[in-house]
Amino acid sequence: MSLFLAALRLQLRLAPRSPGTLQVWATAPLFTAVFLSIAEHAHRTDLASFSVVAPTLMGQWALTLGIAGEIIAEERNQGTLEAVIATPGRFSVVVVARILAVSLLGVTTMAEAWLVAGLGFGRWIDVPHPVVLAAALLANAAAMAGTASILSSLFVLMPSARIVQNTLTYPLYLLSGVLVPLSALPAWAGAVGRAVFLSWSADLLRAALDGPAVPRPVTRIAVVALLGLSGYLIGALLLSRVLRRVRRLGTLTHT
Amino acid sequence: MVSTEEYGTARRGASERPADPAAADAIVVEDVGRTFAVRRGRAAGEVTALSGVSLRVARGEVHGLLGPNGAGKTTLCRILTTTLEPTTGSARVLGLDVTRQSRAVRRSIGLVFGGDRGLYGRLSARENLWFWCAMYGLRRSALRARTELLLDRVGLLDRADARVDTFSRGMKQRLHLARGLVGDPRVLILDEPTMGMDPVAALDFRALVAELRAEGRTVLLTTHDMAEAAAVCDRVSLIDRGRLLMTEDTDAVGRLLSGYERVVAHGVSAGLARRVGALTGVVAVRHEADRLEAETERPSATARVLGVLAAAGVHQVSTARPDLAEVYLHLVGRRGMGVT
Amino acid sequence: MYPTAFHLVRYGFLNAVADFKATYTWRSWSFGWLGRMLAQVLFFTGLGRVLDQPGAVRYLALGNALMTCVVDTMAVVATTSGERRAGTLSLLVASPADLMWVFAGRSLHWPLSGFATASAALFGLGPLFGVTWSAAQVAPVLLLIALTALGTYCVGLFLAVLVLNAPRLRNVVSNCAYLAMMAFCGVQVPVEFWPRGVGAAVQAVPLTHTLRALRAVSDGRPAAEVFGPVGAAVLTAGCWLLAAGVTLRWLVAVPARRAGTLDLSY
Repeated sequence: MSLFLAALRLQLRLAPRSPGTLQVWATAPLFTAVFLSIAEHAHRTDLASFSVVAPTLMGQWALTLGIAGEIIAEERNQGTLEAVIATPGRFSVVVVARILAVSLLGVTTMAEAWLVAGLGFGRWIDVPHPVVLAAALLANAAAMAGTASILSSLFVLMPSARIVQNTLTYPLYLLSGVLVPLSALPAWAGAVGRAVFLSWSADLLRAALDGPAVPRPVTRIAVVALLGLSGYLIGALLLSRVLRRVRRLGTLTHT
Repeated sequence: MVSTEEYGTARRGASERPADPAAADAIVVEDVGRTFAVRRGRAAGEVTALSGVSLRVARGEVHGLLGPNGAGKTTLCRILTTTLEPTTGSARVLGLDVTRQSRAVRRSIGLVFGGDRGLYGRLSARENLWFWCAMYGLRRSALRARTELLLDRVGLLDRADARVDTFSRGMKQRLHLARGLVGDPRVLILDEPTMGMDPVAALDFRALVAELRAEGRTVLLTTHDMAEAAAVCDRVSLIDRGRLLMTEDTDAVGRLLSGYERVVAHGVSAGLARRVGALTGVVAVRHEADRLEAETERPSATARVLGVLAAAGVHQVSTARPDLAEVYLHLVGRRGMGVT
Repeated sequence: MYPTAFHLVRYGFLNAVADFKATYTWRSWSFGWLGRMLAQVLFFTGLGRVLDQPGAVRYLALGNALMTCVVDTMAVVATTSGERRAGTLSLLVASPADLMWVFAGRSLHWPLSGFATASAALFGLGPLFGVTWSAAQVAPVLLLIALTALGTYCVGLFLAVLVLNAPRLRNVVSNCAYLAMMAFCGVQVPVEFWPRGVGAAVQAVPLTHTLRALRAVSDGRPAAEVFGPVGAAVLTAGCWLLAAGVTLRWLVAVPARRAGTLDLSY
């Protein structure tokens, strides 16, 4: 646990200074303005929650994807990968903790989006279900970290992973109902989207900001957490393969 | 090897240059100083990279600029290649002022630096040279002909279409040199060109510099490798902490220290070492175990040392002139390489 | 002989093509990049489907399809900044070439890629959302895409020059720039939706005008409603290119040589 917290703290210190974080903070208000303007122009004030949830999830995921892509490459470039592996701690714990730090930091984009809606458009969005919102944000951050840990290993194992990374933004947002609920997608796409934790988080977050009571909040949060946990387990498995490769070959040959 | 006359178009280009043909020196640096603004926490300060540097390099000379990392060598190169303006003083290349006539200077110089950077890694060697030839105003057949000549010259013809990413350090360095030659420059600035090269590649490089000299090009070469400077340079300048300590013929630098000579002997007792140290003309003595190293300031003193050693029955004796390394260490002090 | 502007652009472009070929294969561009860009169009247009507003889907589809070429083209900021990372920037400065023209050629693959992306989006995805084209409309649409790509390229070159000395900001600046265009230039909602000041400011952006022209073509409005915006787009693009050249020479290169921020070996 202390290893987990130490890694988390380290990354929380590093992240605010990285250009990736700066980019997400700078773009989240613009995304919010884009979504809100579409809703406002159509006089659909009821869609304001869409305009806050989507930039939050997109910003968080962009940050998480960024760190997952560089975390192992960075250790390797610095020549610290071997040193980290040689320590008794579980490397997968370090990886997931560092990614979690970044995805938690990404929650701040929700505050940005909320402020943009209020200050820019005069829509001060209520938070009728703060407890559900907080729990959903936490579960979502954890699920993002778990899922992204798969990618951190994948990027090392697959030479062409950078191209895969491209397809993990908009196609994923589209398929997992980040902006528009899955119910608006064709049935087959909706079925695929249900397997992605993001679709559950997006629905939950929107529900927590809308008026009526949130149905089955505990179950839905549990689904997010479970999907995230399975991501972590797959990630840990892949990571052990990467580390075996380091030990066997003395280096990671793929870039 | 390719003679300069084969670079047809560039010769025509040369006649258009407004360079001063009467300038006897290819490079003239007069009292150049350069400071950089730095920020340490909240305090803003200044670091002096160069201070009062004056230097002349004759046409056709291979001049070594020798000094540890951070001495100011690269700063001087940047000023001469017009990528940095001097804070004080002035510099001219082929009679052209580097600040006021920078574009004409760029036409007349070639720049090569060591390390992995400065090439387009995703392009092939040939594509890199095409691009750079175009940057120097070559066109069509002249561009292609120059590219092939240079590839041939640096021995990269058989790998010309491979991506530069896949090249070894030595190959990249040869490509760097070819790149520096695309404009058929009369003056070449080589900034640490052998950095990271393996010894064989470094030897090849020396042969190339000799060719450049034979073609009448002026070369300013920075290095912290004394052996390299001694092997290829006509004259060397020693630079340290932004100041030019001295400029001498490569041989003369050696003479400077030892009219100075050095005698090394084995099987010498401590008492005998003390006697040697007391002789006139002996300036330094080191004695470890039974090994003696004595430095003398003139040949007569060397003869006296040899006489005393022979009389004491010591036969394992050798004399040597110091190499540049020793001159360097004497002048810069024993601060060690790469430490500033 | 000093290299001419045409010559520099041409060889810069050859460099760009080689660079592009090394980054993408035909397959990775189509399935990786193009797929992602089309998904982006679907993503934003999808919001139109839940709006229940007539014409909203069509409006969003047209705007976001043309927008893809802006996203592509903005990569010029990163590519130009890459010259510093590759260590070639100082070599270019030390050469007799005019840096502005080298830069102008060096990233031309991005507007080309953008042209292809937006064409695929407008002609491939458009019909799914009611954006259909007659044979006579194809040529003007292609020309408008090309004009958008090149006009945005001029904006991008200006931004690229601006961040030449602050390479850490390259992605922030290019992303914010295209998102600002996406928000305010009439891509998602008409320019008139925004406050007057914003509406005035976006008149400086070529995309605002090409998009207006494209919508006019799509609606089959009279030619004057197309040519007016086209003229404005050409004019604003020229201004951005000029601004890039002036900024590079007097506000970036000269101060950089004074301050010593053009490094040789790293």
